[in-house]
Amino acid sequence: MDFDFNDAERTFAEEVRRFLRANPPETFAIDGMDAGYGSGANSRAFLKALGAQGWLSMCWPKTYGGREEPMFMKLVLMEELALAGAPFGPLAGVWQTADAIIEFGTERLRREALPAIARGDATFWQGYSEPDAGSDLLALKTEARRDGDHYVIRGHKIWSSHAGIATHGLVFARTSREARRSRGFSMFVVANGTPGMDIRPIRSLTGEVYHHEVFLDDVRVSADLMLGPEGDGFQALLNGLDADRFWGRFYKAPALERVLRQLVSYANTTHVRGVPLARDPGLRRRLAAIAADIAALRLIFYRTGCLIRDGAPLTYETAMAKVYADETGQKLARLGMDLLGVWGPLREGSRWAKLGGQISHLYLTTLGHTIAGGTAEILRSSVAVRGLGLPAEPKVAVEARR
Amino acid sequence: MDFRPSPAQQILISTARAFLRQHCPPELAQRLALDARGFDEPLWRRMAELGWPGLLIPLELGGSGGSLLDVILLTEEMGRAGLPGPFVPSAVVATSLVLTAGSPAQHKRLLPALAAGERVATLALVEESGSFELDGVTLTCAVPGRLTGRKLFVRDAHVADDLIVAVRIGADPSLILLPTDRPGIARLPLDTISGEKVFEVTFDGVDVRPDDLLGRVGGASELLAPALRAGALARTAEMVGGAQRVLELAVEHAKTRVQGGRPIGGYQAIQHACADLVRDVDASRALLYTAAWRVSEGRPAEPGVALAKAYAGEACLAVARRGHQIFGAISYCEEHPLHLVHKRIQAASLEFGDSARHLETVAGAIGLVGEAAARAC
Repeated sequence: MDFDFNDAERTFAEEVRRFLRANPPETFAIDGMDAGYGSGANSRAFLKALGAQGWLSMCWPKTYGGREEPMFMKLVLMEELALAGAPFGPLAGVWQTADAIIEFGTERLRREALPAIARGDATFWQGYSEPDAGSDLLALKTEARRDGDHYVIRGHKIWSSHAGIATHGLVFARTSREARRSRGFSMFVVANGTPGMDIRPIRSLTGEVYHHEVFLDDVRVSADLMLGPEGDGFQALLNGLDADRFWGRFYKAPALERVLRQLVSYANTTHVRGVPLARDPGLRRRLAAIAADIAALRLIFYRTGCLIRDGAPLTYETAMAKVYADETGQKLARLGMDLLGVWGPLREGSRWAKLGGQISHLYLTTLGHTIAGGTAEILRSSVAVRGLGLPAEPKVAVEARR
Repeated sequence: MDFRPSPAQQILISTARAFLRQHCPPELAQRLALDARGFDEPLWRRMAELGWPGLLIPLELGGSGGSLLDVILLTEEMGRAGLPGPFVPSAVVATSLVLTAGSPAQHKRLLPALAAGERVATLALVEESGSFELDGVTLTCAVPGRLTGRKLFVRDAHVADDLIVAVRIGADPSLILLPTDRPGIARLPLDTISGEKVFEVTFDGVDVRPDDLLGRVGGASELLAPALRAGALARTAEMVGGAQRVLELAVEHAKTRVQGGRPIGGYQAIQHACADLVRDVDASRALLYTAAWRVSEGRPAEPGVALAKAYAGEACLAVARRGHQIFGAISYCEEHPLHLVHKRIQAASLEFGDSARHLETVAGAIGLVGEAAARAC
């Protein structure tokens, strides 16, 4: 066993910290809201700065312009960025998309998309959910019909994060009717602005725009923009969702650690009747208990990261880790609101807002985390069925079919 | 980073699991829990043949020179099997103390015998305050002199040959080592739900000699710290092993118990409960291994030990309680194995500091100023 970084990882962490000191995260222009996951706001400028360091493509094969760095370097980078509160919103998504393109992509996708991703020019929205296909994703109705060397996509996607400011959508559509419910799906990389694509914002409960719905009205896509094998897209998607849960939540523990430090500092410096809040026994215990949760969460993710690095099979790990991450985030946000009391609900920018009004924002955004990317209920069933071998409930445990 | 036990550690784990499956079945654990003496000498001798009591002791003193992490992996298997007996008090806590505090002469006299399982030692620390900290120690004596007073919650005192007693010499917290057959020492059993053998030990004018001193006068604080840390981690390992056992039992039951025409594990309510057991066990174990690794590597480990004990104390107990709910009525029976595992987890969660005490250490480590306004524990 070894619970520390190796020399190369430590050196890289120091390099990232130097970069962040030279390029303070708060100086980068923001394009899209921080959805509270821990990766901060969406900032194309910051993504391009990461690209200029060569960090977006550092783990790719040399053939595609990468440096073939070990996968753990990505974890080191994300942890440092999250601890610093940097706006690296699209990072996990572009890494996953690049990995899928390297593994499954056509020559055209590799040639065109990878350099743009490496520079930080390309970001992606996920077109998976539909109004009638949420937890039951296979109920989706969007169809892609073959027409010569093109596909014509028709359908309605929803809950696509930052679709309005991304460059491409990853659209999951039915390409054929087959006897097995999980077959006949394919994934397409569709450029924003393609004729027939209409992206409309959905205002969220924070008052900002994060999600979009996307109407696809006979959108023509070249066949070589299909990502992964035709008809086998669901399997590829499931693998992608496994990765999504890991990469899309890995940075939550360090991000929560950062929030915890703010709460500790607030408790130390805020006096009630002359006594610091930090001396309240109940509060001390709650803060310490959530520090233990965050420490455990970080380890759970690193353990899963080791399994991925070592090519070990995953069954329940990412599903469990995602639920734990999201519920810990909700618990911390709730604790933050309790700690701030009447100041808690004040928004960023309001007179008298404490801690920059960030806690009320976190409280609201974390509500969505146990829903997005697989609800806590779906994922707990997945842990039970895939991880523990319990029998699937009819129709419920979609993933049990893996 | 690497979360896998080394090949040697994997052998230790698999050997322990196979041995305990054969020699410590649930019926034995239950029988020993109900038995007043509750000590299986043949089993203890077999464990000694495997070198377990000497795992922490250097080779030249008859042990096998293992690390605390090795001991933790072994103790986790013991917790999983519900093994009763003096392994943690003697082979972990008292042995750590003798290693840290003992003179060369004491090392030579005690450690080979402890390694061979021929001697059993235990720590007498707690008094009526119920605290595992030195500020709870009021028992005073002079060296040489006479010792009169009592200690509480002394594990396995009835089978111990030696007592390590925390006392004050003048005002200075110190340790003395007394053979249990010294006149004036009496061991009175406390009756606890866990079936662990716990005693009040009374001292009535017990003769204390200069060579009974373990470590220097006033040295108890620094001498005790590593042993209490080892004890806290060993108890955490027992909790993690016990919770792992509950998880295995509950999942097996959920697969085979049929109600409403299908296994209850096919219902979401049970599935989701089982999923939470996995999280609690995995998270507790990750914190445990990290803390034990840090101790073994000689790194600062105080907050890590506190995190692990505090977290596991809550999470593993939650696993046990949820286990009863998954099992339903059958787990309310004495002959069912679950309740004993539950009671052991309960006991382990309290010894060497309960969750509240360790959370206070964590509170300090994350930078909260001062101490709790009213003592939380």
